[in-house]
Amino acid sequence: MANPELNRKTQTKVEDSSSLKGTLTSVLLLGGFLVLSWIGVFLLFINRF
Amino acid sequence: MHMHRYEKWWLTLGTGSLIIFLIILGISAFHQGHQPPSAKAYINPEQVDAIAPFDEPGLKKVEGKEWDYELVLVASTFLYNPGEVEVPKGATLKIIATTKDVIHGFEVAGTNINMMLEPGYISEYTTTLDKTGEFLVVCNEYCGVGHHTMKSMIKVVD
Repeated sequence: MANPELNRKTQTKVEDSSSLKGTLTSVLLLGGFLVLSWIGVFLLFINRF
Repeated sequence: MHMHRYEKWWLTLGTGSLIIFLIILGISAFHQGHQPPSAKAYINPEQVDAIAPFDEPGLKKVEGKEWDYELVLVASTFLYNPGEVEVPKGATLKIIATTKDVIHGFEVAGTNINMMLEPGYISEYTTTLDKTGEFLVVCNEYCGVGHHTMKSMIKVVD
């Protein structure tokens, strides 16, 4: 009766702390935003006199 | 030194974009001649009215130059001389401008033409007018109480 938890096996996911997947995604998102806005401004500059 | 694979990717992307931007800057500056609108020419700001070409402001057709028209423009508080010009579409226009008194701006709204007019200096900008329309010229350097009334108009007609 006491300590019923002892019989349960809890599974905890341990993520590899050296994984940089999230960092890569956010770097690429930021990079994509910068590139798109740069292209937009550049096209504006080219199409005007 | 150990470096994560992804880290190499974004370092390559970052360094690559830096190189690309520097190349674009170089081409724009040295090949296309994109530069600040200074003619490297000086003028006595107190005698603008007596010095050519500013003694006769206005639009002039020119021959044998890389541009078809010259717009000689004098800014002063709080007006541009001339106040309105009409240029045919497709013409290459060289704007030659200066100011008689304080710093004025010369911005043609909705275009890339935007320069400062400083007393004692001549500002120039050459461009090909490939769209028809009425283009408002406004002062974008605060020059005094009448700053907001300072305007001119470039009409590009067929």
